[in-house]
Amino acid sequence: MANVISANSLTLAYDKGKTVVINDATFTIEQGEFVFITGPSGSGKSTLLKSMYGQIKPYKGKLSVGGFDMNRIKRNQLLQLRRNMGIVFQDYKLINEWTVEKNVVLPLIITGYSLDVQKVQAEKLLAHVKLSEHAHKYPLELSGGEQQRVGVARALSKNPFLILADEPTGNLDEFSSGVVWDLLENACDQLNATVVVVTHKIPTIFNIPYRHFIIENGGVHEVH
Amino acid sequence: MKSIKEHLMFILPLMAMLIGIEFILVFNRITSSYENKLKNEYAILVVSKKTLKTPFVRSIDNRIDTVEPMNREEIAREVTAGMQDAAIAAIMKDLPYFYRIHLTKYFSLKDLKEIRDNLKKVNGILNVEIFGKNYHSKHSMFELVKMLLNIFIVMLFAVSILLVIKQMQVWQLAHKERMQIMEIFGAPMMLRSGILFKVALTDAFIATILNMGLFIYFKNKWAKTSDVDFIKNNPDLLFNISDFFLLFLLAIVIVIISVFYVAFKSREVPEG
Ligand SMILES: Nc1ncnc2c1ncn2[C@@H]1O[C@H](COP(=O)(O)OP(=O)(O)O)[C@@H](O)[C@H]1O
Ligand SMILES: [Mg+2]
Repeated sequence: MANVISANSLTLAYDKGKTVVINDATFTIEQGEFVFITGPSGSGKSTLLKSMYGQIKPYKGKLSVGGFDMNRIKRNQLLQLRRNMGIVFQDYKLINEWTVEKNVVLPLIITGYSLDVQKVQAEKLLAHVKLSEHAHKYPLELSGGEQQRVGVARALSKNPFLILADEPTGNLDEFSSGVVWDLLENACDQLNATVVVVTHKIPTIFNIPYRHFIIENGGVHEVH
Repeated sequence: MKSIKEHLMFILPLMAMLIGIEFILVFNRITSSYENKLKNEYAILVVSKKTLKTPFVRSIDNRIDTVEPMNREEIAREVTAGMQDAAIAAIMKDLPYFYRIHLTKYFSLKDLKEIRDNLKKVNGILNVEIFGKNYHSKHSMFELVKMLLNIFIVMLFAVSILLVIKQMQVWQLAHKERMQIMEIFGAPMMLRSGILFKVALTDAFIATILNMGLFIYFKNKWAKTSDVDFIKNNPDLLFNISDFFLLFLLAIVIVIISVFYVAFKSREVPEG
């Protein structure tokens, strides 16, 4: 199976190398795998995830994502790569001036799908995350848990090959968290998406096989 | 309500800028046409022993446009009224030629003096009268009005540029988050700023139309009742339909610069 993500002696740093966050990490993640990344706060979990969607470039070493060399990737290639990813944030990052319906199909809008396709997909996705009755509301009219379900629906809307989630349940109560984990589980299990999730706590009930990386003192170690 | 205010905040400075441009256009038309009128009304008077022809006089000074001979018989008739033919013939023989010399432009007094000196050097020219005093006061008044209006236009421009920049910052605040989220999901620059373009182009169009309306109003209402005869007689100088295209083009250029400025300021900066 093809590597979706492969890191080779990857070092990530801020301030032109003055603050090294990830030091000499080597790992690969394959198509269809579900990976949890945990670690103390400030250890570099978000930074590692940012490197996977190109918000930060490798300081040293190699990182490839979806076949792109992240050291050399051009701006338009990066945008293209991102169009085939789904990203979920702890703070949702929804567009508050847009309706729930429109937020959900942002990736389709970006790819240039017709309004009809958008409409049909929005309906399907909102039903999937059980938010059909909120389609015409605005994000700020929803609870945190509901907003994050919109965020997950958006990430899933174009059947991405890779889903990256940074503490997706960080602000959610137990019930909403359960819904979000189910959705991510499904994406991996049924759509064969690769899912990488940063979390401070792996859910106690999880129904599919997963891998677990821990970040500690700049190193990335897999727990077996 | 909020969106109307947002539109106005862009339309108003845009309009101020367009009014500035339209002023420049109108002003240039009025001054050049008024200048032309002044130029046509003005002539240097030359008294010469020999006949003068335009090509020759032009070769003396290229600021000279045409030479218009004055009717010698008419002048002579006034002087010789009641005289005998022989006496008239003698006077006519000695009577010099009179010419009005028209110039190519509405020159300054300094130019006039140079032209006069050049003409005086010509063998056979007896006298050159440039009517300097009268000319000078008219010309400097004209130059003063021109300068004041230019200062006004520059100030109008400066203020409206500041307002447009201010509005850009408001836009940036309002759209930054959306554009950044779109970028995270892979939207290219043109798509991210598409909404802004729509808003801004609409505003540009509205501002151009309003501006046009204002000047058409001036042309049809104000100009006709104007105390300034020159404007009353030439209302077309106040608005020209081709101005519309120029103004709209300019408004679009301002809009494109503005939107790209906002998009550029909101773009993702790689960390690390
Ligand atoms: N933009 C940045 N500039 C400089 N340092 C940063 C930046 N973002 C994060 N850091 C630092 O990098 C380290 C790791 O941060 P982060 O990846 O956000 O940790 P985590 O997500 O594990 O809590 C922290 O020490 C943090 O202060
Ligand atoms: Mg973090």
